[in-house]
Parts: sequence; C-alpha cells; structure tokens
Amino acid sequence: MRNFLAICRRELAATFLSPVAYVTMLVFLALSGLIFWYAVVTGVGTGEPLPTMLFGGVVFCVTILVTVVSMRLFAEEIRLGSLEALMTAPVTESQVVAGKYAGAFLFLLLTVTLPVGFPFILRAMSPGVASLDYGALLGGYLITVLFAAFALATGLLISLLTRNQIVAAIACFCVVWLALLLGNVAAMAAPGPAEVARYLSAVDHVLAFSRGSVDTRPIALYLSGTAFMLFAAVRVLEALRR
Amino acid sequence: MIEATHLTKRYGRILALDNVTFRVQRGEIVGFLGPNGAGKTTTMRIISTYLPATGGTVRVCGVDVLDDPLAVRRHIGYMPENVPLYPEMRVREYLRYRGTLKGLRGRRLRARVEEAMAACDLGDVRRRVIGRLSKGYAQRVGLADALLHEPDVLIMDEPTLGLDPNQQRRVRDLIRSLARRHTVLLSSHILSEVEQTCERVLIIDKGRVVASDTPQRLVSFLRGEPHVRMEIQGPADAVVEKVMALPHVRNVACETKGGWQHLTCRCARGADVRPALFALAAAEQWTVRELRLEQSNLEDVFAELTSEQGGEGVASPDAAGREAAA
Repeated sequence: MRNFLAICRRELAATFLSPVAYVTMLVFLALSGLIFWYAVVTGVGTGEPLPTMLFGGVVFCVTILVTVVSMRLFAEEIRLGSLEALMTAPVTESQVVAGKYAGAFLFLLLTVTLPVGFPFILRAMSPGVASLDYGALLGGYLITVLFAAFALATGLLISLLTRNQIVAAIACFCVVWLALLLGNVAAMAAPGPAEVARYLSAVDHVLAFSRGSVDTRPIALYLSGTAFMLFAAVRVLEALRR
Repeated sequence: MIEATHLTKRYGRILALDNVTFRVQRGEIVGFLGPNGAGKTTTMRIISTYLPATGGTVRVCGVDVLDDPLAVRRHIGYMPENVPLYPEMRVREYLRYRGTLKGLRGRRLRARVEEAMAACDLGDVRRRVIGRLSKGYAQRVGLADALLHEPDVLIMDEPTLGLDPNQQRRVRDLIRSLARRHTVLLSSHILSEVEQTCERVLIIDKGRVVASDTPQRLVSFLRGEPHVRMEIQGPADAVVEKVMALPHVRNVACETKGGWQHLTCRCARGADVRPALFALAAAEQWTVRELRLEQSNLEDVFAELTSEQGGEGVASPDAAGREAAA
C-alpha cells in the first residue's frame, strides 16, 4: 500500500510540476466553458436541462485532457529508462500501474470537477435561470468521471506500448474518440449491430445521465472496462521485460 | 552472494548470453568487462530481476531471481547504465521517494537519505532540481539511490560513464570503501579503473565468459614474460651478445636509432634483469639513457581475449577450474 501511495504521490507531483498540466487545465476549462456558453445561448427556450448542456460539451473536452495526461505515463518512463530503475526496486507491476493510474486520475478528477461550477456561476449571474436539478448534475458528473476513468486506463495501456509520447497521444486520442462515438457511427450501419453498439455510445450515456436517467449498465460497463484495461496494462508491463 | 549457472538469454534469434556461469563471493568487488554487445548489461539486468533469463538460474543471497524477485530486489542496489532519474524532482525528494519504494520509513528513511547523500558528496545539491545537475552529480545521485537501503549486493552498470577524471577517482574510492559492507559487481569500459578497483575480473565476449580471475593473474597468465626496454650507446653486436649472455634473458631485439641501441629484452617470468643490465653497462662503460620494466596490463588481456583474432575461449586455468566448480 505504501509503495502504491508513494508512486501515486510522485505521479501527481510530476503532473503538477509540469507546465503542461496547467496549460491543459486552462485549455480544458476554456473549451468546456465556451461550449457550455454556446449551448446555453443557442438552447434558450428548447427546454434542454443545464447539466445536459454542460456535460454534453465536457465529455468531448475530456478526450483532449485524457490524451495529454496519459501519453506521458509510461512512454516517458520507457524513453528516459527510469522504468528499469523503478522495476528493479521492490515493487510489483500492479503497484506501479495502480499508483501511476491513481496519480493521473486524481489530476483528471480535479480538472473535470472544475466545470461543475459553471451552472452555479450562470445562475448567480442570471437570476432568470431556473433552479438546478442537482440529481441530474450529479448523474452527469458521475458518468463523465467514469468515462474519463475508462479513457485514462485505455491511454495508460497505450502509453505502455510505445516510447514515443506523440505516438501514444495520437493512438490514445483515436481510441478514445472511437469509444465516444462508436454508438453514433454504428447507428448508421445495419439495425442489428447498431442496436448493440448504441449500448456502448458514451455520448448517449452522458446525455441520458445528465437528464437524470441513471442506468447501472453504463456504470458497470465503464468500471469493468477500466479494470480490464488496468489488468491488461499489468500484463503488458510484465511482458515488456522479456 | 551471486551465483549464475548456465545462464542463457535469447532476444528472438539473437543469442545474447550463452551458458554463462560465474559466482561472486560475499565482500568481493568484481569487474565485469566485455566489448559493446558482449552481454554485460543483459547479465546485470537478469541478476537485478529486470529481465528473465531464457535458460539457467541466478541466485542472489540464496534466493532465485525467478522464484522471489521482490526478495532479490531487497538485497540488491542496482545502478543502471546512464542513470535514469526524474529530471523534475529535487535530489533529496528523489532519494526519499526511492527510499520509500525500498521499504524505508520515518526516521530510518530520513537518516539513510542523509547518509547516502553524505557518502556520495551530495550535500551541496540536496535541494537542486535533478534536471539541472551536471552529469557527475546525476551519476552520484544514482549511486546514492543504489546505496539507500544498504543492500548486500551492489550492481553498477558503467558507474563512471561520462565523469571527468577527478569525479571518476572519487567514485572509484567510494566503490572501494563499499567493499567492506557490500558485494559489488560493476561493469566498465575503463580497464585501468577495473584494474585499480576490482579484486576479480570477469571478461565476457559474445555472450560467454572467456576469463575470470584477479587482474594480476590474468595479466601474468596471458603475457607471463615481462619485457625490459633499454636505450644504450655501444656497439650493437657486442651489446646484443653480452645482454643475451645474462641469466634469465630469453630474447633480445635491437634497433639502432640516432646512434642509440633500443633493446627489448624478454625475460623469464618473475625475473628482474635490470640490475644485471645496469651492472653490464657500467662494466662496459656504455651510456644508458633509459632502463625500464614493462608489464602487460589488463588492456592487453582484454584485447587478446575479445578481439576477432584473439584467443576466443581462452581462460586462465584458474578461471576454467573456478567456473567448472561453480
């Protein structure tokens, strides 16, 4: 447990010591704020709830955030050679993967939490805005965080497969967008596969949750998907040293 | 302390290690020599549990590296080649992090970090960001990291790579001082350094151990007969004839340059013919400009054992016996 905490703390510190983290955070906030503002301006009178307007945009910005955070996780260690030093200390592969993931996830969690304040700021600035549906806000936040957790685990696995951060970033970005839009793309295909693929559509999940329609299936999907990706990462890390 | 038996490692179709067997005893400082690509780093990585061997076994402090790699890592302080560090961390912060991973806690962690920094002369840079350190300091941070948990075995891959001569000497002194408490296996390309630092040398070439003995014995085995070089002024024929007549002189080569005879005398092993040569020159009233004994060094041994034309598979009788016993 102490090794896990030490690795997690180092990962978090490394993220905050890098200017990339602050720039990413700023870009993420600016982009999600802009999308939210645009959704509010164009959505007046449509009856669309504020959480849907917020998280419908935030989930797209999460793809950029996850790409930037995950690309350096292992690719940098492999490039610097520090993986050798790390894996010859008395730590297990699981502790290394879990520690690195947890450190990156905490940064992600903090960054994804910040836009939750947007609807409150909007209400404070415009007394005409109806009261907020806290349940829908919480639901939207929950599914966005779960999707981000799954995407981060996917990015971590990809960063283990290459020593080049740019390759890791591009591959991660493509895979996460595929996961995000898989259902929508498949919907254009034959009705049978489209129906199955719709269950996997992250956009649909976020929109449904942020309307207050909480379903346990997507929660199970992202939790099991995250666990699978981390398990695969542990196996890849073991295989990497053969 | 370290027992490698019939160690084999394949990278696809490339055979990196071919039936390597050696043993390192407690408290020994062993130098691991070999040309680039000979298998030194692969062997060190297998011992440090970073890589699994394709065949054979390695035991460190009695523990098999495959059976219990975590226990082996607790016994080992490993300093990889090029010392990979986290450039954004500060020296003390990095050592505290590494100490935590190595199982040190609380007061003991603080004390060990301070001791390791003192041993490696890092006091001045404890708060410096690693990315801004010179190569020498970074190397010493890597060494301090390897020493942190007071391991029984220290494995260092090119510990003085990229250091200036003063820094090399300091690191060498430090390694020598560690021998009392640790078993040290180090690789280096600087042969004079290995000769000065190590009690025993393992020479590896094309994945096979080709020699294992003390530097002195290796040198005497491969180039057993010392040479005496002499520059003397006298008639060439008489000089050669009278020098050849001296006891223990086996062979004399003479070359005349600018009125001086440049003699190279090959002598019997263990014999020093310099006093006799000097007495001869004095008696014959020949002027002597130079008289010196030349011993082969480890560099000659290394070249002979690892060059393409060199004695492939040549090992001192002691080495052969020792490895067979192991």
